[in-house]
Amino acid sequence: MSKQQRNLHSLVAIVCCALPALAGAQGRAPGGSPGGPPPGPPKTAREAAPVDLTGTWVSIVSEDWRWRMLTPTRGDFQSIPLNAEGKRVGLAWDAARDEMLGLQCKSFGAPAIMRVPGRVRISWQDDQTLKIETDAGTQTRLLHFNAPPTTTEDRSWQGYSVANWERPVRGRGVGEGLSIFVGNIGRAGRSLEVTTTNLREGYYRRNGPPYSADAQMQEYFDYHKEPNGDEWFTVTTVITDPKYLQGPFVTSTDFKKQKTAAGWDPTPCTSR
Amino acid sequence: MRSPSFLLIVVWALAAGTAGAQVDFSGEWSPLYHEDAADRIPGPEIGDYTALPLNDAARMRGDTFQADRLSMVMQYQCRPHSADYGLRGLGNMRIDKEIEPLHQKLIAFKTYMPAWGSVRTIWLDGRPHPPEYAEHTFQGFSTGVWDGNQLTITTTHLKANYHRRNEVPSSDKRTLVEHWVRHGDLLTVVTWVDDPVYFTEPLVRSQSWLLDPGQQVPQFYCEYVTELPPVTEDSVPHYLPGTNPNLTEIAGWYGLPTEVLRGGAEKMLPEYRKRMPRPEKPAPAMCERMCNCTDFRSCL
Repeated sequence: MSKQQRNLHSLVAIVCCALPALAGAQGRAPGGSPGGPPPGPPKTAREAAPVDLTGTWVSIVSEDWRWRMLTPTRGDFQSIPLNAEGKRVGLAWDAARDEMLGLQCKSFGAPAIMRVPGRVRISWQDDQTLKIETDAGTQTRLLHFNAPPTTTEDRSWQGYSVANWERPVRGRGVGEGLSIFVGNIGRAGRSLEVTTTNLREGYYRRNGPPYSADAQMQEYFDYHKEPNGDEWFTVTTVITDPKYLQGPFVTSTDFKKQKTAAGWDPTPCTSR
Repeated sequence: MRSPSFLLIVVWALAAGTAGAQVDFSGEWSPLYHEDAADRIPGPEIGDYTALPLNDAARMRGDTFQADRLSMVMQYQCRPHSADYGLRGLGNMRIDKEIEPLHQKLIAFKTYMPAWGSVRTIWLDGRPHPPEYAEHTFQGFSTGVWDGNQLTITTTHLKANYHRRNEVPSSDKRTLVEHWVRHGDLLTVVTWVDDPVYFTEPLVRSQSWLLDPGQQVPQFYCEYVTELPPVTEDSVPHYLPGTNPNLTEIAGWYGLPTEVLRGGAEKMLPEYRKRMPRPEKPAPAMCERMCNCTDFRSCL
């Protein structure tokens, strides 16, 4: 056997050893099947979902209790990084005026609604649209997958949301092609990423801390299951609004899954 | 034809690398106080047990707490934040990777928080937790496993500490589970704390951290000093049950019904809003305390 033949035999042996390890590496994109059948038509967002967020979920108010369960005192903007203009506008809050103008939903817009105590019902409206309904304020959010980033629709309390299953964290500008000498453990994306724009101006809380119509919101929904079997999702929300904020406003809000729709209690928006 | 030797190297590299790199949490992180800022920076108000699923035993401990204890009893001075409270309390965090040099495997993350110089190791190499009788420490014993992009960490062997700094106690029987997820330069840490001694159900909260590579997390100093002369050598300042005069002060400051201050799991559900009693005293017309507290500068 020539030296070259011996090397080839060694190569075959190593490949045989290496392939199972490569296939077993964690972190592959959902549905990835190296060496499997040729790819078919692209999966819909519903088919590609790495986690199931559908169902009825209740917000357990373990944070910011005083500001979420009650209408805070005028000028109580604790924990919100408002700039001077934001504070000025917030201090001018007038609930009676909002009621007169039919603006009771100003504290139920997308930047606020996930912090409002209540239940959310999540379902697929179609294969590319995830729907979030809230009983508090009877609001509906539509998360559009594979959609253009803008819309011609009028501004609304819930704005226009574009969604995708978040790609794993990786080096900036470095694609899959450079992933030699490294593996991918812990890099399988399983978060839902949502970007919301086209908002009507509103309040983060009922006592008037404002966000402007130019505010943009980025959200990450992360599913987690606990040792006692409880299922939760946590939504990390990042709001940027140079008009009223000193910098990004970041919260994370926790929801527990219910086995039934018990407690679902649609109520209208209120200003107080 | 390309040399088989070159191909051998490439295949070896691919094979060797499969267990090599994970989501990288290492770096210097700054906490964001955009939730419960005053509770976490200057500290909670006395008697505020809202948002905690605590039981009567925990209320008793909180009610009988007198802050002079910290000034007079050395054992309570320089008491570190435990692994669970440290994530909620104040302070920045550095995360380092521990690499096993022979196989270049990530075997642990180490966290350092300047508050009380707390160092914690999160083992990723599959080692088991020690038996129950093993030593309990403030940082406990932590192991982590990957679930997709999420690192799930289980911590046992914690020393008794507190869930909130107004002396809502935590027991050494508790278990902490964390879920770490990184979104770009943002780290979300979800904590699940099961404390069978002081909670009626597990407490779930979440914290946000921002990557801040420009910072140098400092050394921490804490000196033991007797600030008040003890009444007797072994005295421990406290209130007897039912005698603490400060428990409901906060209700007047914020126009809260006193009932809500007692906390409990049932008050953390949205429907509690419907049966919440009216406050005994009306809220002030304008916020007077911690109105714009969002970070160290604005809260202190």
